[in-house]
Amino acid sequence: MINLRDKGASIWENWNRVQRTIFVLISITVVALMPYAGGFGPTSFLNTPISSYQAVLVYPIALFVLMGLGLNIVVGKSGLLDLGYVAFFAIGAYTMAIMGTMTSLNTWEILPFGIFFAMVAGLLLGLPALRLRGDYLAIVTLGFGEIVRIVALNLNITGGPNGVVGVPNPPPILGQKFELNDHAAYFWVILVMILLVIWMVRRFTIRRPGRAWEAIRQDEDVAALMGVNLLVYKLWSFTIGAAVGGAGGVIYASKTMFIAPDMFTFNTSILVLACVVFGGLGNIWGVILGASILGYLPERIRFISNARQLVFGLVLLIIMNVRPDGLLPRKKREKIKQKEAK
Amino acid sequence: MNKKIQRSLAVVSAAALVLGVSAVSSAMAAPKTVYLAFQAPLTGPNALTGQDELTGAKFALSEYNATNPSIKVELVLADDQGLAEVAAVVAPGIASNKKIIGLIGPAFSGATQASLPAYKAGGLALISMSATRVSLTDRKAAVNGFPIFKRVVANDQYQGPALARYATKGVTAPSVYLVDDKTAYGKGLADYTSPSLKGKIAGTDSVPENTSDYTSVVAKVKASGANVVIYCGYAPDAAKFVKALRDGGYKGIFASGDGTLKATFPNNAGNTAAEGARLTAADVPFEDVATAAQMVAYTKLTGIKIPGTYVTSTYNATNIFLTCIKQGKTSRAGIQNCITSGSFKGVAGDTIKFDRYGDIVGGAAVGAFTIKDGKITYVAVA
Amino acid sequence: MNLQVLSSQFWSLCLQGVALGFIYVLISLGYTMVYGVLRLINFANSEVFMVGTFATVVAQVGILQNQTNSQPLHGFRLLYTLAFSLGFSMLICGVLGVLVELVAYRRLRALGTNRLASLISAIAVSIVLLETTRIVTFSRPQTSPRLLDKWSFGEIAGANFRIDTVAVIVSGIVIFFALDRFVTKSRLGKAIRAVSMSEENSKLMGVNLNRVVSLTFFIGGLTTGAAAFFYTTVYETTQFNVGFNLGLAAFTAAVLGGIGNLRGAFYGGLFLGVLEQFASAILGSQWKSVTVFLVLVLVLLLKPNGIFGEAVQQTRT
Repeated sequence: MINLRDKGASIWENWNRVQRTIFVLISITVVALMPYAGGFGPTSFLNTPISSYQAVLVYPIALFVLMGLGLNIVVGKSGLLDLGYVAFFAIGAYTMAIMGTMTSLNTWEILPFGIFFAMVAGLLLGLPALRLRGDYLAIVTLGFGEIVRIVALNLNITGGPNGVVGVPNPPPILGQKFELNDHAAYFWVILVMILLVIWMVRRFTIRRPGRAWEAIRQDEDVAALMGVNLLVYKLWSFTIGAAVGGAGGVIYASKTMFIAPDMFTFNTSILVLACVVFGGLGNIWGVILGASILGYLPERIRFISNARQLVFGLVLLIIMNVRPDGLLPRKKREKIKQKEAK
Repeated sequence: MNKKIQRSLAVVSAAALVLGVSAVSSAMAAPKTVYLAFQAPLTGPNALTGQDELTGAKFALSEYNATNPSIKVELVLADDQGLAEVAAVVAPGIASNKKIIGLIGPAFSGATQASLPAYKAGGLALISMSATRVSLTDRKAAVNGFPIFKRVVANDQYQGPALARYATKGVTAPSVYLVDDKTAYGKGLADYTSPSLKGKIAGTDSVPENTSDYTSVVAKVKASGANVVIYCGYAPDAAKFVKALRDGGYKGIFASGDGTLKATFPNNAGNTAAEGARLTAADVPFEDVATAAQMVAYTKLTGIKIPGTYVTSTYNATNIFLTCIKQGKTSRAGIQNCITSGSFKGVAGDTIKFDRYGDIVGGAAVGAFTIKDGKITYVAVA
Repeated sequence: MNLQVLSSQFWSLCLQGVALGFIYVLISLGYTMVYGVLRLINFANSEVFMVGTFATVVAQVGILQNQTNSQPLHGFRLLYTLAFSLGFSMLICGVLGVLVELVAYRRLRALGTNRLASLISAIAVSIVLLETTRIVTFSRPQTSPRLLDKWSFGEIAGANFRIDTVAVIVSGIVIFFALDRFVTKSRLGKAIRAVSMSEENSKLMGVNLNRVVSLTFFIGGLTTGAAAFFYTTVYETTQFNVGFNLGLAAFTAAVLGGIGNLRGAFYGGLFLGVLEQFASAILGSQWKSVTVFLVLVLVLLLKPNGIFGEAVQQTRT
């Protein structure tokens, strides 16, 4: 089977600095123009029936990409199976909702708080949970995701099952307004966040934390023997992943103006995890592709109405069996090493 | 798997996508056809409510089309899965599709709340058949549905006290155990029921939807010595709960609201458990108000013998739109005016007219029902 | 907090908790058997259970032509109906379990890919099962008739020993010990254990790996099918979304006891059943799941491999 990821990497490595910069700039521009693709003749096939194409582009697609990248740090880079990632998204969203309706702070001022609280939650969960191995971690994170949702459902400050209404939209930046129907503006904000996360992940990967995560993913015992402080680096990956989720949550709450506990169910965690695995575990470009497809597909096939989710399940099943390493798998080199490690 | 299969899969899926687009766009191009959107959960865990309601809308439409009208009406199904986050994606799409002139739904209050901003911006009139949250038509609420939101169902503010009255009627020294299902609907109804029960509440509990085992709640009810149990939630859970209560030896009254008022409730609860249960609802079972001929046609169209909840209200909501379209109103503004100022007939022969904030004038009457010989029987206005 | 309920209902809660616990035990065997052999969470098991509940209803209403509102049966007819629907549900679930393995796991296992791919593939299978059932049943709950007249053996200290409660407990014990014996004593059971200890070595010893894995899924399906039958007999109703909550609870039970370990599933299920009853009675039903998960975290912190640890070896990931 062809490894597109490797092919792409080899073309990239043969380019010089100027070529690379031009390529990056063009790609970013093309992606930034995506909100207009639905109304532009040759690309109008992208339009989603019934739901709004531009809204779909923001949620699920862009936010799934963002969350997928965050979860990829945890699952893909350091090999920790997290089934409750939606909890951090929820914490960010509730921070925005509660602070936005109760204080006079605006979205951009609340954003650091949302990230901070999500990180604290990541730390609180990680301290006990990260001592566990493999599937035990999975069930504990799953439980944590449910706990956050149920607590939001049971408390008064979160509005119980009714949620929080009237969450304010963000104030304008550089004259760009953020009203309900300015989907493109939200898309650009999330795009910037995605680029920041990509940059951050690439930095980490080639530095000490990235190497430590890679070691932990391949074999914990060996990593510990080599002097990697397991708990510290696991906590790092966990809290950074949480921070990304929290940031996504803040923007999301500020866009939909209304949040309720049933937005943060186990299904969302699973869907984001599916994005990561479907696209290519551990590979940024794979995750982006996977999240775009899985976010887009259910909206695109709305015309088959009743059997929509069924078709989604079938597509997921077939692709996972045809390309078990995801659409764009991680580097072959790593996989060979993985084999040797076994 | 080999490359051939992969390639053919890709071709098939691409073809499906293209066909889908052309199907949608060609349908939109047909002359003298207007579109009504129907927004409710049609897939996912909440699908039952939406699929039940859809039968009401389809039936109303089939009756309309049978009269061979000059303006054809088609439904656009907007599945929001009953989830606010999906509704927030669907609503802008519906709002920006100018072919759609009215919307039946949304079914759920949370989804409604998330959809309102987009519909307000698009000036699209909506009539909900089952969103009972009080704040949607409360003029003091932070975000309400004015001016586009209407509903043909009584909100909890009316139903709660009526439920409390009816449940405790004729009981000396009532002692009430109040249970909700932790959904926005159930909790909302419970919150508006409990003030009318001041001093009579023996205990409360919130049992999340889709719980299978109610024995611990039964134990608590028995320990509290309550003689009235009020359940705020939907029929499938109510059936499990009342069955557990009766099997556990509870002999008192069981009462519940409109979420439970469907023929599936006595059916699912079994032979005797639901017998004598007291139910209130703004929604009257469709088979009680429809004519025999209508029921035959309904079953023929949908394949369902016993209609579910909110079929009546969905049927009424759809008919309000159809009445306006019959009068030649085919623009969003026209429909909005027609609904706001007009007066309509419900299937039971009642008159429907909306007040300024979207509730039925006089507050849709709350009916009292009981289960007799396994059938829902109308008793009186509660 | 509601402690007054304990004074009069303590034993009743215990009994009901144990009965519920046995349903968890039977479902969690489906998780734990598969985990023991493949080291994979069989996510589709909850939907296999869901299909089993419908199979029971189909057997009782569709095949044996009992009306939904028919009178309880007695004597031979009752035994025959219950036995047939139990067998039918177990068989359907067993076969479905094998199919799930074929569709979701077989190919990925042969390729030796990462475990997450199998996880997502299993989740995809559950989506397909769930949505198919939903479409076929019009999203509506289905009721099984009350075939078993729910008479009581009597009350002891407030606990009502009703026939269905007792039947679940007794059959749960019987099925569990039959399975335990099968796995420890029979030739095939030994093959299963051998594979769970080391795939490579058991292959060398002439064990047909694929057959053992299929067998494991079949047995897991059988117990899950039995759980589905008892669930339907006790609660008499089912819906397409019944699987998630019960599956999650059963999986938690398996982890509590020590996943991969049959006895762990047994005690974990019972413990969880009782814990849920008391948590909802004392703290309120809305805090039930939170309590369960907090207890789970505490247990795992003290005993990182569950209360009874793993039978075969430490988990390695």
